[in-house]
Amino acid sequence: MPELGRAALVVTLGLSTYALVAGAAAAHLGRRRLAHSAQNALIAAFLTTLVASLILLAALLRHDFSFAYVARTTSEALPTAYTVSAFWGGQEGSLLLWLLVLTAFGAAAVRLNRTWARDLIVWVVPVFAAVAVFFSFLVVAVASPFATQAPPPDGAGMTPSLQNPYMLAHPPLLYLGYVGLTVPFAFALGALLSGRLDERWLVATRRWTLLAWAALGIGQLLGAHWAYVEVGWGGYYAWDPVENAALMPWLAATAFLHSVMIQEKRGMLRVWNVLLVILAFTLSLFGTFLTRSGVVNSIHSFTQSSIGPWFLGFIGVTVAVSLGLVFWRLPQLRSPTKLESPISREAAFLYNNLLLLALCLAILWGVVYPMLSEALRGEAVVLGRSYYDFFLRVFGLPLLLLMGIGPLVAWRRASLRSLVTTFRWPTLVALATGILLLVLGAGRSTPGLVAYTFSAFVGATIVMEFARGTRARKALGATSWPGAFASLMSRNRRRYGGYVVHASIVLLAIGIAGSSAFDSVAESKLTRGESLEIGGYTLVYRSLAERQTANATEIRATLDVTRGDSDLGTLEAGKNAYTIEQQVSNEVGIRSDRLTGEDLFVIAEQIDPDGSVYFRVFVKPLVNLIWLAGLVFLLGSAITLWPDRREQRRLVARAEAVGLPATR
Amino acid sequence: MIALLVAAVLAVFLLYTSIAGGGNPSIAPSELRGRSGEVQLAGLVVGPVVGDAHAGGLRFELRDIGGKAKSTVVVRYSGSVPDLFKVGRHIMIDGRLRKGVFVAEPGSMITKCPSKYSPKQSGDSA
Amino acid sequence: MLAAALAVVCVILVALPFLREPDPETDELDELDEGERRRLELLESRDRALSALKELEFDHRTGTITDDDYRDQVGPLRREAATALQALQRNTPGTHGDASKGEGRPVGRRT
Repeated sequence: MPELGRAALVVTLGLSTYALVAGAAAAHLGRRRLAHSAQNALIAAFLTTLVASLILLAALLRHDFSFAYVARTTSEALPTAYTVSAFWGGQEGSLLLWLLVLTAFGAAAVRLNRTWARDLIVWVVPVFAAVAVFFSFLVVAVASPFATQAPPPDGAGMTPSLQNPYMLAHPPLLYLGYVGLTVPFAFALGALLSGRLDERWLVATRRWTLLAWAALGIGQLLGAHWAYVEVGWGGYYAWDPVENAALMPWLAATAFLHSVMIQEKRGMLRVWNVLLVILAFTLSLFGTFLTRSGVVNSIHSFTQSSIGPWFLGFIGVTVAVSLGLVFWRLPQLRSPTKLESPISREAAFLYNNLLLLALCLAILWGVVYPMLSEALRGEAVVLGRSYYDFFLRVFGLPLLLLMGIGPLVAWRRASLRSLVTTFRWPTLVALATGILLLVLGAGRSTPGLVAYTFSAFVGATIVMEFARGTRARKALGATSWPGAFASLMSRNRRRYGGYVVHASIVLLAIGIAGSSAFDSVAESKLTRGESLEIGGYTLVYRSLAERQTANATEIRATLDVTRGDSDLGTLEAGKNAYTIEQQVSNEVGIRSDRLTGEDLFVIAEQIDPDGSVYFRVFVKPLVNLIWLAGLVFLLGSAITLWPDRREQRRLVARAEAVGLPATR
Repeated sequence: MIALLVAAVLAVFLLYTSIAGGGNPSIAPSELRGRSGEVQLAGLVVGPVVGDAHAGGLRFELRDIGGKAKSTVVVRYSGSVPDLFKVGRHIMIDGRLRKGVFVAEPGSMITKCPSKYSPKQSGDSA
Repeated sequence: MLAAALAVVCVILVALPFLREPDPETDELDELDEGERRRLELLESRDRALSALKELEFDHRTGTITDDDYRDQVGPLRREAATALQALQRNTPGTHGDASKGEGRPVGRRT
C-alpha cells in the first residue's frame, strides 16, 4: 500500500505540472481543448491526492507501523478519534492535508466559475497548479508521508496535551483557512495574467474568502479556549509565534473583506485589493512555514529542518512574481474615481485597512525580529508580551472605535453637521457607560476603561442600525416587527451579517479587556483546612485524593468555594502524571458564573508530599464573553455566507448580457 | 493623504521601538560569562533540581542546547513552574547574572516544547 | 498494478477533451471581444451606481444618512446612473436595449 500512496502522489505532481504548463500554454495561445485538458488535470490531481490521503488514513486506522509516519505519531492504545487526528499531527500528514484541501478547493472553484468567467479561469488554473506543484513536490521528494520501515512493536504515541477534542477541530480549521486564501489569490493572479480586471474575480472569490476567514477566526478561538482550559497557565493567548501565524493572515483577510467593498461600491482601491490578497496568501504560507519548519525555536533549527528552505524559497518566488504582475498591470488597475473627502465611508474603511495592516505588520515584525537579529547580530532578541500588548492598544483601540463610526458615515462625503446628529446617541451612551464604570472603579486600567467605552459606543451604533432598519422595513409594508426584522436581514445579508460579526468583535473586546485589564490573582501555600480570599470569593482547601487511571495518576485537591453567604460548591484542581509519556500536566479547576461571565480559575501549582498545596487563583471578569463572541461570530459569518438569490440573479443577467452563459 | 497616514503609523512604530528598545537578547549559557544585563537564557536543564519554587527558590543548572560547550550555569528560580519542566528539557528563562548565579525573574520560565501544533517534535527533542 | 491503473485513468481524464473532439471546427478559446468587455464594464458601473442609489435611499429612510447628506449626494448619483444607462444603450447592438429589464429599472426605486 505505501507504494500506491507514493505513486498517487507522484501522479499528482505530474498532473499539477501538466496543468501548470499546459494551462499556461493554452491560455497564452488561446487553445480551447488544451485549456479544458488542464482543468481536467487539476480535477484528476484532486482525485489522486484523495487516494493518497485515504491510504494514509487507512494505515493510521489499521495501526500499520511499517509506515514510519504512523509509528511516529500514534500508538496501539491511542483512541480512534486521536488516531484520525494524527493525520494532521505531524509535518508530512499536514502537508498532505494542505495539498488535499488545495486541490479540492481548486477543482471546485474552477468548476463553479468555468462558464461565466471562462476567460479568467484559463489563467486561474495554472496559478492553482503552480501552488499544487510546490506542495506535491514537498510530499513526494522532501517529506513523504509514505516512508516505510521495519514495523516496531508499538508506535511512539501522541503527546498527552494534544489528546483532547480541541485538537480534532482546531488544526483542520486553520488549514481550511490557510488553504482557502489560495482561492482569492489564484483568481487575483488569474485576473492580472489575463488582464480581465473587471469585478468578476472579486465576485467569484467573495464566499471563498469569507469561508477561509471564518474558519481561521473560529480555529483561533478554539485554540485560545484549548490553551485556557487545557494548558492551564491562566491565559488564552500568549503571542506565541505559532498563534500569531494564524492571526496575521486573518487580519490581512479582514482588511481585504472591507476594502473589497470600496471597490465594489466605488471602483476604487483596485491595486490595494490585489496587494492585500497577495499579502494574505503569503502570510498563510508563512504561517504554515512557521508552524512546520522549526524556525520558531531558532534560526539554527530552521536550517536543519527539511522543508524550511523550500518554503522560504516558494514564498520569495510568490512575492516576486505577484508583485511583478501587479507592476505590469498597473496602468489597467488605475481607478476612475478618487477619494472625495477624508470624512466618508470610503475614508473610514481606508483608516480601518491601514490600522489592520499596521497591526498585522507590527506582529509580523515581532515574529521575525528574533530571526533577523540572530542572522544579523548573532544574537536572537525576543520581543515580549509588552511589545504586542502595546501595539494591540495603539492600533486595536482605534480600530474598535472605527467599527462604530464607519458604518454610519455616508459614502463619498459626509458633512460634519450630519456627523454630530448621527453620533449624538451612541456618544452619549458611551460617555454614560464610561462615567458609570469610572465611578464603579474601572479607572485602575486606562486601556481597559477606553476599551469598555468604545465597546459601548459600537454596541449602541449596531443596536441603532438594527432598530432603524427594522423600523424602515415596517414602514415599507412589513406586516409585523419580526417580519420586518427578517426582511431587513434577508435583503442585505452582507451588511447585517457584518453587523453581527461586529457585535462579536465587541464582545471579544469586552472579554479581553475584562479578563486582562481587570483580573486579580492570589497565590498561597495552603495546608488542609486553610483558606484563601480573592475578589469576594473564599476558597477552603479540604482534601487531597489520588486515583489511578489507565494511563495516568491523577491527583486532585478539593476546595470549598463560597461568596459572601452563598455556598458555591466545590472545585477540583490538580495534576495528571502520565506513566508512559513521563509527563505531568496541570488540570485546572474553573468555575464559570453564567450570569456575570466571570471565571474563578484555580491552579494547583505545586503539591508537596506532606499534603500542602501551593495554589494560584485568578478571578477573570467577563472572560466567558470571549467564547460567546465565537458563537456570535459563527452566526454572523453564516449570515453573510448564505447564498443571496437577488445578487445571483443580477450576476446572471449581467453575464448573459455579454453572451457568457451563467450557470452559477 | 494616504501617504500621511502611513507616515503616522510608521512614526508610532518607530517611536515605540526607539523608546522601549525591544526585548532581551536570547543567549546560550556558555555566552553568559561577563554579561550583567538582563537576558533571556535558553538552555538544557541538567540536574539535580533542588529546592522549592515557592519557598526559597528552585536551583538547577543549564547547559547549551546541542552545543559543544559543556560548561553550565547555576540558576535560581522562583514562581510558577511549567508542567513540562524537568531534567533534559529545553527552557527559556529571563534574568541576570549575579555573582556567578543566574537569578531569574519570578515566573519567567517557559518550556520550549511541545509547541501547540507540532506534537511529535517535542518527543524527539526531549 | 493499481498505481498503473490510477495513472491510466488520469491520462484518459486529461486527454478527454481531445478524445471527445478529435477534429473540432475551431480550437480557439471563445473569449470576450473588445466590445463585450467594454459592455461588461458598463454593466458593472450601471449596477454599481444603481445599488449605491438604492443604499442611499434606504439609509436616508432609516435616518442613518441625514437630509443634508442625502440632498448633496442624490443628484450626482442619479446623474451617474443615468450616464451609465445611456452609455449602455449606445453600446447595445440593436435589440439588446435591456435597460428596462431586471436591475435596470430607473432611479429611486426602493425595495
